[in-house]
Amino acid sequence: MSSWLDYTINGLIVGNVYALVAVGLALIFGVSRLINFAQGSIYLVGAYIGWVAVVQLHTPLPLTIIVVAVSAAMVGLIIERFGLRPLQNSVRIAPLLATIGISFVLDQLVMLTFSPNPRALPSQLPDVRFQVGGGTIGPLDLLIAGVGITSALLLFVFLRYSKLGWAVRAASQDRDAAMQMGVDVNRVNQAVFGIAAALGGVSGMLVGMYYNQIDTAMSLQATLKGVVAEVVGGAGNVPGAVVGSLLLGLVESYGVAVFGTSYRNLFAFLLLVVVLVLRPNGLFASARQAPPEPLTGTFIAPSRPVRVPRWALLLAAAIFAVLPFFPVSFYVLQTLINAWLLGMLALSLTLVAGTIGQVSLGHAALLAIGAYTSALLSLNFSVPVGLAIIGGGLMSAALGTTLISPSFRLRGHYVSIATLAIGEIVSLVILNWESVTRGPIGISGIPPLSLFGYDLISPNSIYWFSLAVMVVLALVQGRLLSSHLGRSFRAIRDDDIAARAYGLSLNRYKSLAFIFGGFAAGVSGGIAAHLYSYINHETFNTQQSILALTVVILGGLGNVVGAILGSVALVGLPEVFRIAAEYRILIYGIVLLLLVRFRPQGLLGTI
Amino acid sequence: MSNIDRRTLVKGSLVAMMAGATFSRAGFADTSEPILLGVSGPLTGPNAQYGAQWKQGFDLALDEIMAAGGINGRKLAYQFEDSQSDPRQSVAIAQKFVSDPRIVMELGDFSSPASMAASPIYQRAGLVQFGFTNSHPDFTKGGDFMWSTSVSQADEQPLLARYAVQRLGLKKLAVLHLNTDWGRTSRDYFVKAAKEYGAEIAITEGYIAEERDFRSTLVRVRDANPDGLILISYYSDGALIARQARQVGLKQVICAASSVYSPKFLELGGEAVEDVHVGTRYFPEDPRPEVQKFIAGFKKKYNGQEPDAFNAYAYDAMNMAAAVVRIGGTDRRAIRDAFAKVKDVPSVIFGTATFDVATRRVKGAMNAELVVRKGQFALWDGKPT
Repeated sequence: MSSWLDYTINGLIVGNVYALVAVGLALIFGVSRLINFAQGSIYLVGAYIGWVAVVQLHTPLPLTIIVVAVSAAMVGLIIERFGLRPLQNSVRIAPLLATIGISFVLDQLVMLTFSPNPRALPSQLPDVRFQVGGGTIGPLDLLIAGVGITSALLLFVFLRYSKLGWAVRAASQDRDAAMQMGVDVNRVNQAVFGIAAALGGVSGMLVGMYYNQIDTAMSLQATLKGVVAEVVGGAGNVPGAVVGSLLLGLVESYGVAVFGTSYRNLFAFLLLVVVLVLRPNGLFASARQAPPEPLTGTFIAPSRPVRVPRWALLLAAAIFAVLPFFPVSFYVLQTLINAWLLGMLALSLTLVAGTIGQVSLGHAALLAIGAYTSALLSLNFSVPVGLAIIGGGLMSAALGTTLISPSFRLRGHYVSIATLAIGEIVSLVILNWESVTRGPIGISGIPPLSLFGYDLISPNSIYWFSLAVMVVLALVQGRLLSSHLGRSFRAIRDDDIAARAYGLSLNRYKSLAFIFGGFAAGVSGGIAAHLYSYINHETFNTQQSILALTVVILGGLGNVVGAILGSVALVGLPEVFRIAAEYRILIYGIVLLLLVRFRPQGLLGTI
Repeated sequence: MSNIDRRTLVKGSLVAMMAGATFSRAGFADTSEPILLGVSGPLTGPNAQYGAQWKQGFDLALDEIMAAGGINGRKLAYQFEDSQSDPRQSVAIAQKFVSDPRIVMELGDFSSPASMAASPIYQRAGLVQFGFTNSHPDFTKGGDFMWSTSVSQADEQPLLARYAVQRLGLKKLAVLHLNTDWGRTSRDYFVKAAKEYGAEIAITEGYIAEERDFRSTLVRVRDANPDGLILISYYSDGALIARQARQVGLKQVICAASSVYSPKFLELGGEAVEDVHVGTRYFPEDPRPEVQKFIAGFKKKYNGQEPDAFNAYAYDAMNMAAAVVRIGGTDRRAIRDAFAKVKDVPSVIFGTATFDVATRRVKGAMNAELVVRKGQFALWDGKPT
């Protein structure tokens, strides 16, 4: 079976590529306990700086590496100084959201500067290949491996034996104590961001050379794979990140070997879930290491929520309800329909992320389950659309809760990463389970929305229908939050150990929250399916999950009114900026950053 | 239904008078308010490159249409709304277009989920949705307002199969395809045709669009022992697969669908795409005047840049739109009916394009058998590689 040798070598080679990103992520996580979603964007910036150096300035390879490392480090320093440092005393999740905003801004800047067309980034190494097994290895493969492993080793030595390294570790263990001992925490953060960004930039350049192509869409994939590799290894553990990357590469390669190419990422994300279930802190977390997030609720800001008076809510509801009677364009109504659909998803997420503290980054999966269930029920079994949508909600509640339940014992960032993986798994199952989901062809001809035999096809009726559904869900959720059950949810969020000591069954309450949340999200997906009439596995993607989380944080975690306000804002803003064409996502990113900077606890605050 | 009220007429002619010096005489013939087409497509997000290519093709076609006197003397223009190829945004854009009386027809969107989510809105409002990259078999089934010049894979793939099996003599094939609605449909048509020509399909592998690493896939391909690789890919992933195939030591003949036809394929693939066979809709040496005019105009307008397949689709789509509007005028329903009436519109991709009213797609297509020689696409001379 010589092929297995080839699969192994290929797995190690691609694992090397992942390691380049994962090491930088691990370093930042080690110090700031922050998953830096902008790391992929720095990787992108590095690749394009590398392109300028190689193609325009014709620099030799060592100089190219230095140019890329230095300029990427500068970008990292700027991000740290202006994007993240102002947030250091605010809610933990604010910097996370800020890195998402920064990645929007960086990606768009690169795209506007270099155009979205892919470019060739020629390798500056001689194109000789050595025969290994049935395949070959070239100098660039070895260089990538060398850079990955050497930087991991150097970082390890730096953290363990140098004075700045000690400061880094001290700052990561207890920021306040380190500060009291005279460690300049800001300097430490700067150093770490500079190093991580330099690494990220160089990796983007090397990977670009490896594939001989760079494009502006490469950053999200890099971040995703890097995060998976890092968490498998044990978040914040630099050598662990390298081993995690290699393992990820191997699992993908063997997955392709056994099941075929279309299953590749499925195995990557399954690996992540299995590792997290068996070893919640990753493979290389030492037993002595303090749990990364002692409380489920560390994400939550101790803020005084804005109490919106009841008359104002009633007034707002009344205004929105009569809006179609006024001469507003269907475009405005359609935008609001999108906002109501996102609002249902946000209600779901604000309950699980805000009220019970399980931050989910895979919430689009619940939409997809609801949408497919509702579409298939109405198409294959002629279930009336109204009932099919409820069926979609129930299926999302049941299946979603079952799928997410392994993550209940996880804490902090690990929950979000596990849910991210579950979201990807659902999407890949939909792609591959052709007999039911029709695979990549998707489901078309889904009947339009209807209620009691009346088709809802005019924008007005769809608007009223989705508004009504959202308001009912919001009222139920509001009632839930003010009940005894709601208090139990918040108790688990604020201090799970105390809650357990008090006799609350964590898993049961978390399940309850996901059942409620899953239903709302599933209904949203179901309505969307009948509204669009065509869905496929890409309709509800990771970006949708990130958008939902952004909405929820923006509105104020756990805040029902905030979730709806956030939905209107985040659906509306890009539409308002539509006139700015290519610049609109850039503007959107900047607005997001400003909101996080000046209102980190969300517009209406946490309840 | 008239779309021009008195106010816009007055306003329009005022603008025209002020800009009069730069306008040709024809600009005054009717009104100077342009006939407006709506375009829904990606300008940002992961598919942004295709939106940028569309714009190049559209702008070139519009320049030529204006130089030829516009649409019966009126200016033709488009309003490009960025959908990011996201169904949530394309439905909002659809509502925006259908409720804007100036828009006479819509072009796009790029991906199937974004296009087909918006179809019901266009259909109910009676605005033509003219999809020119929408090869999903169900796209034109959305209603009689959905029309497409998208290359029908039912036409194209048998031609590629004939090239690979009959002309190149490949008997045992490995098919690598993008695992999207387009790639999947294409693969099915290809496999069916290749089997009819007597070839054996050793293995088919579908990969997702974000995939960058194909080494392990290629080991599977190697173990299936084919004598040819068929790529149903876009140019960027096609170039990646070709490079990695050569790197892992696969020396088989590679044959690719027309979607790789792009100067970028050569740039990104480098030496690895040498001798790759491509069945394509057009190529620069095609002596037809439409093609030569397109290529010369494109290079002139965009600093010597070579056009590619997506530029050509957009260019053809805009010319087709102009032909339709010439017949249908500015009434939305009349424009729908005009699609059935246009005959033999000169086109880069189709030679002359005429719609098949039953499928609302253009039938038939030009086909050229190309091969990459010395870093350039060239007509295949019939010599084996």
